[in-house]
Amino acid sequence: MKKELLFSGIGGQGIMNLGEILCSAAIKAGYNVTFSPVYGAEKRGGRTMCNIVISSEIECQIVSEADVMLIMDDNSLKDYQHLAGEQGVLILNAQVEAKPDCPCKNIKVVPFIEKAMELGNAKVANIIALGFILKYLDFIPYSIVEELVKETFAKKEKLIPLNLLALKTGYEFEA
Amino acid sequence: MKAVYERPKVFTDAITTYCGGCGHGIVNKLIAELIDEMGLQKNGVIAWPIGCSCLADKFYNMDQIMCLHGRAPATATGMKRAEPDKFVLVYQGDGDMVSEGMAEIMHAAIRGEKFSVVFINNAIYGMTGGQIAPTTLMGQKATTAPAGRSAINSGYPINMAETLASLKGVCYSERVTVTSPAAVAKTKRAMKKAFELQMQGKGMTFVEILSPCPTNWSMSPVKCLKWIDDVMVEQYPLGVFKDVEEEA
Amino acid sequence: MGEKVFMQGNMAMAESAIRAGCKLFFGYPITPSSEVAEYFARVMFERPEEGVTFIQAETEVAAFNMIAGAVCMGHRGMTATSGPGMSLGQEAMSFMSCADLPAVILDVMRPGPGDGDIMAGQSDYYQLTRGGGHGDYRNIILAPYTVQEGCELMQLAFELAEKYHNPVVVASDGNLAKLRESVELPGRIEPPSPHDQYNVLEGYDPAERDKHVFLTGMNGVAEVIEINERLNKKFKAIAENEVRFESYNIEDADIVLVAYGSLARVCISAMKLAREEGIKVGMIRPITLWPFPEKAFEGLDGKKFLCCELSAGQMIDDVKLSVENKHDVYLFSRWGSILPSPREVLADIRKLNEVK
Repeated sequence: MKKELLFSGIGGQGIMNLGEILCSAAIKAGYNVTFSPVYGAEKRGGRTMCNIVISSEIECQIVSEADVMLIMDDNSLKDYQHLAGEQGVLILNAQVEAKPDCPCKNIKVVPFIEKAMELGNAKVANIIALGFILKYLDFIPYSIVEELVKETFAKKEKLIPLNLLALKTGYEFEA
Repeated sequence: MKAVYERPKVFTDAITTYCGGCGHGIVNKLIAELIDEMGLQKNGVIAWPIGCSCLADKFYNMDQIMCLHGRAPATATGMKRAEPDKFVLVYQGDGDMVSEGMAEIMHAAIRGEKFSVVFINNAIYGMTGGQIAPTTLMGQKATTAPAGRSAINSGYPINMAETLASLKGVCYSERVTVTSPAAVAKTKRAMKKAFELQMQGKGMTFVEILSPCPTNWSMSPVKCLKWIDDVMVEQYPLGVFKDVEEEA
Repeated sequence: MGEKVFMQGNMAMAESAIRAGCKLFFGYPITPSSEVAEYFARVMFERPEEGVTFIQAETEVAAFNMIAGAVCMGHRGMTATSGPGMSLGQEAMSFMSCADLPAVILDVMRPGPGDGDIMAGQSDYYQLTRGGGHGDYRNIILAPYTVQEGCELMQLAFELAEKYHNPVVVASDGNLAKLRESVELPGRIEPPSPHDQYNVLEGYDPAERDKHVFLTGMNGVAEVIEINERLNKKFKAIAENEVRFESYNIEDADIVLVAYGSLARVCISAMKLAREEGIKVGMIRPITLWPFPEKAFEGLDGKKFLCCELSAGQMIDDVKLSVENKHDVYLFSRWGSILPSPREVLADIRKLNEVK
């Protein structure tokens, strides 16, 4: 088993945080996981992208045909859509304006930011995205991710219910 | 009968490889005497350079390392950081220290590495056969400066004892020579102080010794001593340039 | 084995070195190796009980010579650097191999030559495996392909260095250095006490033993012969005893990939893709680049070899020597900076499959 994931957005959107939670979950589920972060040169508002490969055996650690690609902004779409696998899924933030032009035909558009604002905090958009991504990674038990979300926010306990709700919202969203 | 002079015990039976009239032999003997007197053999290590003294390990019953050209202060940094309680002596000539290894000696001094450095300044490359050194005097002839040192080619001599004295990491810096019995006795006192301060962990201690090289200066040994006293000290004045004990 | 963590290659390897009893680190910052130095610096302040000494050296030249100093006193010491810094260290590599000094170096390879780029590369292959500096000498070169293996080889490096009294280089690269991976950190190794190390400098007591001297100068033909013959014995013993490699699907393979380090993982995935298409592909992964695993190529008559490297064709020389020019050896070469995809390697495999 091998899954290639690529998540890309703008600094502050919580892309790395999302990636790290997912990696920890996959490790807990018993898989080999590699994580290659890429940061833009800008200190604020620059590109944040990560390559994740989850596999049962040792495999290539870079993404060349993503099984799941999450794109949060137009520039990320332009730069990485060619890496979206034909059999994979391309998940687009609804704020992306450009039309994708890539081998992957399974495209899901999700209003992450609007959904987060409906929950009362735009910052949880990344956790909604995490929930949505989990639909395509059925080998990672939902309960493990729930536990990790709790751990992630252990120091800001009052944010836990909101984030668990965000996770559920994403997981149950039909696009 | 009472023995008034003995060969230092730390010396082996080997005969030194230095030329007649060379200053290295005198300084090597003073170091051997101090190792005996201060009991440094069982707790001390010497880091030798590349140059005329690169066969000196044969002369001493000591644990020793023959370093790469110019790198002894870096090697000694690793030695002293690994074993801070050991006595570490770095011995360098002017080609080794001031040319090839300028970065290593300066940064070891900047960090205040707590070892002693004995620096033989004879204003010339000895082992390679009389080429110009950074310490060569203006106008002094060398095989690579046949008309004498000129500023346009080689710039000006550098005074290491004063330069290192300006750094906070150095706790003792003195320039001495070996041109008379009195001067030799003074050189021994300077090195003794440097070794003692090292063992007190005060910082780097530095002793520069103006030393004759009859072979490459093309002078008789006696003339060499006179040349040091009359000419060399003009560029390189003798004296203590830093002594944290005096300052305190 | 210790606990399972999710850690960056550079940092996990630094932690493994500390757990192997490496208490002295001297280094000069250079991307992509700098996290190793930063890790040691942090441990020195945040975990004082480890007794780590870290110094940021003025140059790589100084850093390599500082290690020589630390290991001649019987302590485990290392540096980490990358391409240009490794070049600066070559004088000391030659010195340490000749002086029997067990230094450990982590070289995080990047593309060169010149100032080069700061990402993944394998362009130090010649420099690492041929000695690199002046004189007849060799270093043991260990090339990990995962963070996990990097941690294990990092610890093995100290043991091999002390066993053979010779420098050992762990050859990582810009990809493995920055990669975060699930890894089971190796446990702690108690290093031999400095007193028990070979030829250690600790002060000389004539009542106990002969004096210890680290010497590389050679005076006349007799010493040139004596010292070189002594070194040659050491290199021969290493070549006989320390070859390490892994083979995958070799038996029925028509095409055998040869790859090491980060690129080996790309090739493993490429091999699987090829097998799915019915092309019989196997792979040899050298773990020791020197000694090169020539014996991995024994009995593979009739197969085609595709040597894959992030350099212009350096390892291919060793592959050709290993098959004694009896078989065709082909090259898949990329300049580095980024890794090729498995499909790029697959494209070459398909082409090679058509060659009769």
